[in-house]
Amino acid sequence: CSRVVDMTTLGPHFTDCISRDQETFRCWWSPGSLQNLSSPGALRVFYLKKDSPTSAWKECPEYIHENRECFFDANHTSVWIPYCVQLRGQNVTYFNEDDCFTVENIVRPDPPVSLNWTLLNISPSGLNYDVLVSWKPPPSADVGVGWMRIEYEIQYRERNATNWEALEKQPHTQQTIYGLQIGKEYEVHIRSRMQAFVKFGEFSDSIFIEVTEIPSKDYTVPLTLVLIFGVVGVLTVIMLIVISQQQRIMMILLPPVPAPKIKGIDSELLKKGKLEELNFILNGGGVDGLPAYATDFYQEEPWVEFIEVDEEDAEGGDKEDNYNSDTQRLLGLPHRNIEGFSAISHPDDDSGRASCYDTDLPEHDTQRLMASLLPGQPEDNETCLDAPASETGEKPLIQTQIGGPQTWVNTDLYAQVSNVMPSGGVVLSPGQQPKIQENTSGSERETQKGGKQNEDVEGIKEQKRNEPQFQLFVVVPEGGGYTAENNTQQTSTPPSTSVPGAGYQTIQPQPMETKPAATGDANESPYILPEPSQPQLFTPVADYTVVQELDTHRSLLLNPPPSQSPSLCQPQHPLKVPMPVGYVTPDLLGNLTP
Amino acid sequence: ALCSRLSSMRAASSCTNGQTGCHFLSLANLFDRVIQHSARMHGISNDLHSEFELYFLPSKNQIGRVSRNCHTSTILTPNGKENAQRIAREELTEVILKLLVAWREPLWHFHQNMAQHREFNNFSSNKSLEMSEMVHELRRGVQKVVEKMQMLGVINSSLGNLGSPEALLASDRAEWRLMNDYDLLYCFRRDSNKIQNYLKILKCRIIPEHGC
Repeated sequence: CSRVVDMTTLGPHFTDCISRDQETFRCWWSPGSLQNLSSPGALRVFYLKKDSPTSAWKECPEYIHENRECFFDANHTSVWIPYCVQLRGQNVTYFNEDDCFTVENIVRPDPPVSLNWTLLNISPSGLNYDVLVSWKPPPSADVGVGWMRIEYEIQYRERNATNWEALEKQPHTQQTIYGLQIGKEYEVHIRSRMQAFVKFGEFSDSIFIEVTEIPSKDYTVPLTLVLIFGVVGVLTVIMLIVISQQQRIMMILLPPVPAPKIKGIDSELLKKGKLEELNFILNGGGVDGLPAYATDFYQEEPWVEFIEVDEEDAEGGDKEDNYNSDTQRLLGLPHRNIEGFSAISHPDDDSGRASCYDTDLPEHDTQRLMASLLPGQPEDNETCLDAPASETGEKPLIQTQIGGPQTWVNTDLYAQVSNVMPSGGVVLSPGQQPKIQENTSGSERETQKGGKQNEDVEGIKEQKRNEPQFQLFVVVPEGGGYTAENNTQQTSTPPSTSVPGAGYQTIQPQPMETKPAATGDANESPYILPEPSQPQLFTPVADYTVVQELDTHRSLLLNPPPSQSPSLCQPQHPLKVPMPVGYVTPDLLGNLTP
Repeated sequence: ALCSRLSSMRAASSCTNGQTGCHFLSLANLFDRVIQHSARMHGISNDLHSEFELYFLPSKNQIGRVSRNCHTSTILTPNGKENAQRIAREELTEVILKLLVAWREPLWHFHQNMAQHREFNNFSSNKSLEMSEMVHELRRGVQKVVEKMQMLGVINSSLGNLGSPEALLASDRAEWRLMNDYDLLYCFRRDSNKIQNYLKILKCRIIPEHGC
């Protein structure tokens, strides 16, 4: 509230009462316009401390006359208790009710000490900078005990400005000034006050802040240029490397997908409409025909298995001419027929054989047996296996024994192995009759006992003549891992133009497993795997079919067999759709229903 | 920044494995929050008092008259730094709690009265409500601090009756009703300063190393 002060008739009064530390306080008075009271001792100070209803006025505990000051020490100072002061002259009491106060309301702390500044940072433009100003609390204020809680206010201005900039009040002993300009000098001072009170203490002495321009710009420009040129150079080198090694990089990044091809056959032939050429080539004709010797050709193909006949075995023993021719035929068998067979490589080592074969079966006996199993052309010394058309009627039936080395002979046609018997025999023709197998097995055993080969041949030949079908027993020592490749090989066999009714089956040679590993579902493939306990479960197998055309997926579509359903599946899984036999594309597999 | 309620201080303790340093740190945090809260409370009371003076223009300096009417005058409080440092911690804590308890009801009534006065704008009305709530929460906060101190063995458990501070003020139930609004504001302004001061002193006596 405002007080009207009449300066002319102003009597003695108190000018101010201040406490610096909330433990003591001082009051100053002025005699006013009446100069006769200015002498020391003319006016006396009395105070009233209202801490009890019976308090009385007391005189100032300590005078400092040169300042006209009354000092109340700690013993006479109580906080939160109202004080009233008055001046008394000779007979006059100058009392003003406004001179009542409580000590906490008159506290004005001393200014902080040790004010200094540090440079925080400079703006990227180099025009402005920030400064951290720090100080210590006033020593008179007992902040450590918590008796006084001080907040500070910093003000700054440019050297020759008139108005001060005030920062926000805060109780910490440091504060940041932002946005000072380089090259200008600034003046900073600080003051303090009690928290939540209004009265500030005195300002501290000013400090001066100035930051001159920092000559760092010169270094940035060449550095930038160097960086730019360096980056450009590196990029150029990389581009050169990429361009020069383009092919190799493309190979690494995007390895080419091998196109489907058959060795020796131009992939152009596999396109639609060129079936004749394809058949011709596959039959071995022409320059582009497939190489003659299977073993040589497929030497590097690990997945091709051959039934190899040992040469020494073939020469030793008492061989008939037929047998020799047969074996020679066997030895000189063009590899193209291999595609019709389940080629099984004859490993030099005994790996895999022990589990499958009867080890006591002598090799040569087997071969003799093998030779005897060529009823179709025992007298036929022709080795022209590339003319399967001429050898009609009877198909060679080749049997191998389970235990012996895997040998087979096909004199004229591709004998597609359609099934593998549990006894180890491979069914070549469709409609394999179990008794044939047994008979042949029996005949095998007979021949094992060392019967004359001719007789065996004859015997078997008769059997074979009875049966227009042939069996090829092939035992595969290994598992069915190769079946897929064998299948594909088999499917690429040339059409048997000579034997329309020939029942050749492609058999997946799998001795032990009951399911082909290559295809997803054994039951749905046209290939039947002989179950060990059901040797007689052979449904008619589709004929050796003609590759009619290629569908969009480059799969060979074979003629559906004329009479038989192309189902090589087990009896309980007849195919519903006439399927191309010998080759099943993956999408066609889906059509196969159990 | 001081808007966090004291009830949120419940979750301050994360020392589960009995590390004393950690416990003292959490006690220091509790103290800091309570002190901040009391500082804010005092600030509001100061504002309200100044505003009241502005509106109602008391004619004279009423210090002398008013101070005798404060209903908390009967509570013996240390009036100087030495006194505040000399008395026992338990006694100082008890004084703080007594003061807080004593102001709960009067401030609530004050707020109710102020809500009806049209002269007070909404700003002041909000402040009076905030003030009355702050007293209540500050009391709960200080009680938590006391519990923590008792758990740590900083003060002994002789303050059993602090759980129900109302028992402390069995005598002066209705004295505050004799005060008018201005007196009430004046008295509370003074007492809130006392509370703030005592809390700070108590903290710096118990945990001097954390921010004193």
